[in-house]
Amino acid sequence: MILLEAHNVIIQTTLNDKLIKPSSLDVQFVDFDGVRFRMSTADRKTVILLSMHIRCWDELVKYGAMDVLQREYGNLIVSQPEAEYNVSLSIDLEQAPADQEARDAFVRSISMFKRNALAAPFESAFAQQKQLESSGQIGELMAIHYRDEEAIYVQASPDRVTVIFSTVFREETDRIFGKVFLQEFVDARRQPSIQNAPQVLYSSRDPPLEIRDVPGLRNTEDIGYVTFVLFPRHFANPTIVANTISHIQLFRDYLHYHIKCSKAYMHSRMRHRVAEFQKVLNRAKTEVAVTERKTVTGRTMVHR
Amino acid sequence: MSNVLRQYLSAVRSTLTAALTLEDFSSQVVERHNKPEIEVQGSKEVLLNPLIVSRNENERVLIEPSVNSLRMSIRIKQADEIERILCHKFTRFMMQRAESFVVLRRKPVPGYDISFLITNVHSETMLKHKIVDFIIQFMEDVDREISEMKLSLNARARIVAESYLLAFNA
Amino acid sequence: MSFRKIDIDAYDEDVIQETELVEPDPRDPTQVLADAKQKQADVRSALARNDVTGALSIALDQAPYGPNVDEAKNLTLQTVVSILNSTRSADIPAVLKDLSVENQDTLMKYLYKGMAMPGWGDVSGSVLLIWHEKLTEVAGTGCIVRVMTDRRTV
Repeated sequence: MILLEAHNVIIQTTLNDKLIKPSSLDVQFVDFDGVRFRMSTADRKTVILLSMHIRCWDELVKYGAMDVLQREYGNLIVSQPEAEYNVSLSIDLEQAPADQEARDAFVRSISMFKRNALAAPFESAFAQQKQLESSGQIGELMAIHYRDEEAIYVQASPDRVTVIFSTVFREETDRIFGKVFLQEFVDARRQPSIQNAPQVLYSSRDPPLEIRDVPGLRNTEDIGYVTFVLFPRHFANPTIVANTISHIQLFRDYLHYHIKCSKAYMHSRMRHRVAEFQKVLNRAKTEVAVTERKTVTGRTMVHR
Repeated sequence: MSNVLRQYLSAVRSTLTAALTLEDFSSQVVERHNKPEIEVQGSKEVLLNPLIVSRNENERVLIEPSVNSLRMSIRIKQADEIERILCHKFTRFMMQRAESFVVLRRKPVPGYDISFLITNVHSETMLKHKIVDFIIQFMEDVDREISEMKLSLNARARIVAESYLLAFNA
Repeated sequence: MSFRKIDIDAYDEDVIQETELVEPDPRDPTQVLADAKQKQADVRSALARNDVTGALSIALDQAPYGPNVDEAKNLTLQTVVSILNSTRSADIPAVLKDLSVENQDTLMKYLYKGMAMPGWGDVSGSVLLIWHEKLTEVAGTGCIVRVMTDRRTV
């Protein structure tokens, strides 16, 4: 599996199970970027309450998350969210579509809960770009602090939408591996088949021009900035928009996931190589003949 | 194997063979103690001249012989940041398992990446030429392993980047 | 300094000093340096005659050792390295066979000294490694052992 999926597998499988056989339920689980979920049944087995907590909820609401969720889920949204969570959906299993295909689409849409909440700033940036085309001004810089030390910045311009990720490499190994990966992202566009992909720029330590004025940026070695430049062809029609948003949201997780994978692979290689060295060294050891020694009465002598 | 690498390894091999003439030797400083003299550096008369075999500034081996022990330290080639971190990871991984590699030292001598400590006990219980074989094989494989890991990292990074960017076309 | 950290062995009257391990060079340091310079000139003329064995013998004979003669040591290393660098690798075994055992040992000392300072002057790792390999073939491991044990370091 190279690409990460935008939907939450736990929501998907749980809902599918419960649609077949409803039963009482209370599970808490997490997604990328510290997003917390809780699925529970309160009074009836057929009504599931799904609540979500996102770190940057207030920012998302400011950029129109409620409108997006309202559009996607309509009257499923509970007016008063569950305590400790930002937003809740009430899913009545008896109201779910009966047709298999529609039912799958319904489940899938719910499992994209997090993706849809995070889509708001991107959608509003794409809409802004269309308006700015005539005026020639630069849109508002939207900052989404989706992790403690990392953020996504989205800004619309007359001819493009710029998305900037700031990401922290906690360990030196991560930093060096991250550099290798990001360099490949920059280089990969030279290939003819990838020419249509967004342009990628990468800088470590120094923030790019667009966000240089943002207060509170750290200028340390372990931080990296990745800029994606999205042109109108990347959000030409609703299908492409949906695809682009699901995809670009997961960039940070995708990058770090593969850095971790590489480290795991290196580790397994080292394990193997060290085992081989051990064998070579063992060849140097001389065999010590172990003879069974017995007493006169026939009992075996045992070393303690 | 390139010619220079072969000569480098053969120079290490002959120096190591020459230095592996160890015998039991009790401490002259503390009664009833028996320590690797090269580590305690207590009595000058039992330490021999340290020898360095080098291929260039970045690849060298230091061999410090003494009457009952010999310390050998290797500096592994590190061309860039990636090789440096891979080398560091690899040697650290091995040194954490020094218990099972009886001749391996837990810490490298300053200025080197990995050190071995061979005492008379080792040279008596193990075959001397096989210990030398082990160290030579280690030197041979470690370079190859590091460059292979680097290649695989680059290959993975390329595939990861390409498949991410290709998905925008979909 | 804490008294626990004092190396009391250094104050033992039986403690062995560096100087007791080896007889110092009987020659005066200035004399040694003059000799080294003289040898450098002699080596040049020997090399001009294409007499590599002769040149090596001159350079290695009575090589400077011990303290206070660092300049002469470096000069001699330079001289030896210049001979090594100018010899074709096919000629090396023949040259080595004609050297006396003492000079073979001294040459081995210089090979290790050169390898300990890679990149110094004209020192080239690959040339020294070729010579090291051939010399080990000719003189055996014993030659290396004598380098390790001889306190008269060059």
